[in-house]
Amino acid sequence: MGGDRRTAGEWYTLDNAAVLYSALQTEKYSAIYRFSAVMDRPVDRAALQRAVDRTMPRFPTFGVRIKRGAFWYYFEPNRAPGPFVKEDISNPCQPVRFREDNGWLVRFYVYEKRISLEVFHAVSDGAGALVFFKTLLAVYLRELGYDIPNTHGILDVNEPPRPEEREDAYGRYATVRPRREKRGKRAYPNNGTAEPFYTFNVTIGFCPVSALKARAGARGASITEYLTAVLLKVLLDKQHREAPRKERPVALAIPINLRPWFPSDTLRNFILTARPAVDPALGSYTFEEVLSQVHHYLRLTISRQRMQAELSGNVRFTRNRLLQLVPIVLKNPVMSLGYKLAGVLPYSGTYTNPGPFPVPAEMAPHIQRMEVILGQATTPRPNCASMSYGDTMAITFAGTEAETDTEREFFRFLVRDGVPVKVESNRAR
Amino acid sequence: MSYCVHCGVELDSTASFCPLCHTPVADPGQPVDTASPRPFPTQRGEVPPVSKVELALLITAMLASVAVCCGVLNLFLQAGRAWSLYVIGAALLLWLWLVPSLLARGMHLLLRLGVDVGAVLLYVYLISVNLNGRDWFLGLAAPLILWGGAALLLLGLVLLVYRRSVITTVTILIGSVGVFSLGVELLVDRWLYHAWSPSWSLVVLVVCVGLVIPLLVIRRVPSLREEARRRFHL
Repeated sequence: MGGDRRTAGEWYTLDNAAVLYSALQTEKYSAIYRFSAVMDRPVDRAALQRAVDRTMPRFPTFGVRIKRGAFWYYFEPNRAPGPFVKEDISNPCQPVRFREDNGWLVRFYVYEKRISLEVFHAVSDGAGALVFFKTLLAVYLRELGYDIPNTHGILDVNEPPRPEEREDAYGRYATVRPRREKRGKRAYPNNGTAEPFYTFNVTIGFCPVSALKARAGARGASITEYLTAVLLKVLLDKQHREAPRKERPVALAIPINLRPWFPSDTLRNFILTARPAVDPALGSYTFEEVLSQVHHYLRLTISRQRMQAELSGNVRFTRNRLLQLVPIVLKNPVMSLGYKLAGVLPYSGTYTNPGPFPVPAEMAPHIQRMEVILGQATTPRPNCASMSYGDTMAITFAGTEAETDTEREFFRFLVRDGVPVKVESNRAR
Repeated sequence: MSYCVHCGVELDSTASFCPLCHTPVADPGQPVDTASPRPFPTQRGEVPPVSKVELALLITAMLASVAVCCGVLNLFLQAGRAWSLYVIGAALLLWLWLVPSLLARGMHLLLRLGVDVGAVLLYVYLISVNLNGRDWFLGLAAPLILWGGAALLLLGLVLLVYRRSVITTVTILIGSVGVFSLGVELLVDRWLYHAWSPSWSLVVLVVCVGLVIPLLVIRRVPSLREEARRRFHL
């Protein structure tokens, strides 16, 4: 895929994660996620719009529209007016329409003190979007008259965009012999009752990072491992309470940012997922046992060699000459079926932890906390995401199901384990 | 600062209930704060539905083009017979089946079925015109199509209107097959012999009734129903 060979201002191909996300696009589903920053005072919408206008040209990979070719989708620079900052809505992460809203695939929302950025996943992954968001927040604060340096990953908006930022990193590192990973066994689906369209339930729990670190550290695990294990344990117990005839494994999709292993400055997608799983067919588990399993599983399987073999396999799919000749109208349904078999059925949910959000000392007092929302899953089940800023960890459960069982048991578990939690939600009932 | 009595989590001062377990907040010393902004906006955003006009236009253009081309060809090839009516009728049938539902979103089921059955009637009528078959069209084809349409309509209404179990759905489907075949034989007999002597359709009906009886028993007896639900994961 020759996206990185072309100069800025031309069309370019999608990377293989983007190919999948755009194939899943339907009338009622888009792969969307949201990052929010809660500032120290109500947001100045005009200043934010100026900041957006100054930041967008520095990030050409976000200022694109997606077009349907005969065989694949492709991106081309979007020269339409916008994107415009909008008043926030109660149901975030609504599907995008490729032809509406001037074709913008990023959205900006404001509510009281909160600035939100929504990104269509084909454009970028969380790590890329956070570089964009941090730079936007810095430019916004500069518009308000503060002096913010370009450190801690903030890009200089006066510089031209660098070609490395738009490279297809998957393509660059797909140099080894691909290995087909065995598909995971069908997992406990954790589906609830679907809410009507236009409803998206978000529940955010805030807890001190220090308390989480203490609880995780006492068991020799990282915060990500600890929270993953809590979610697995909660889902195990939930399945057991529902008393199905056959208890299925409980597995989570954990997106892994590949940049630490494969150096790349790309602002496009560069992730793979790990699949920690617990099989109740083998017996019951204590929380400590689940945690130990997650801890060792993640350390064992997240290795450079394995991940490179896997991403090579994914890239080989988009480079297959025969597949390239299949028209997109036929390819998309097949790919979404493939995603259902390999990306939905073997998992009980998704948990992603973009981690801390380091900012320059000059910026820190103006941001109260950061939040992340993983958009809807293809089935009515909650996805979990967490993000920390300073000493506040925001853990978000978001989905289109009516029930609150997963998040309720999750936060109750944390409270019982000695982690104080404050809960906010957009649920109206 | 309120805490949920069941979950032990701290709640926002504007929350009137716990978002996790829906327990209402009842703190006489500190009523719910209704003045401060809520943590999330209350205004819902709706993205516009995907426009299907382009697809409808494309289908219309393709079908119209086919109809015109065949009509023109008919002028030269076997000009004495209006064979192109078959193709034009098929194009019209496909258009009526596909396009109205693309243009009118959420078209009422009754209307849609009416249009679809009308399209079939029209197509068969065009064939009968070509074959000079006005008698069999009015006497047999039209009543059969209308009877099928009515059965489908009734079935659609019954299956859509109220929530029912899988057992009830299967019962209704099997039952309607029996009743439908009875009607078909009635119409065929009336056309052929001017008298109704039910034979094969009675067999079908009895088979259907035989299939339905155990289902009805399971549906009516609570213990059996629970057992079926447990065994089949319903």
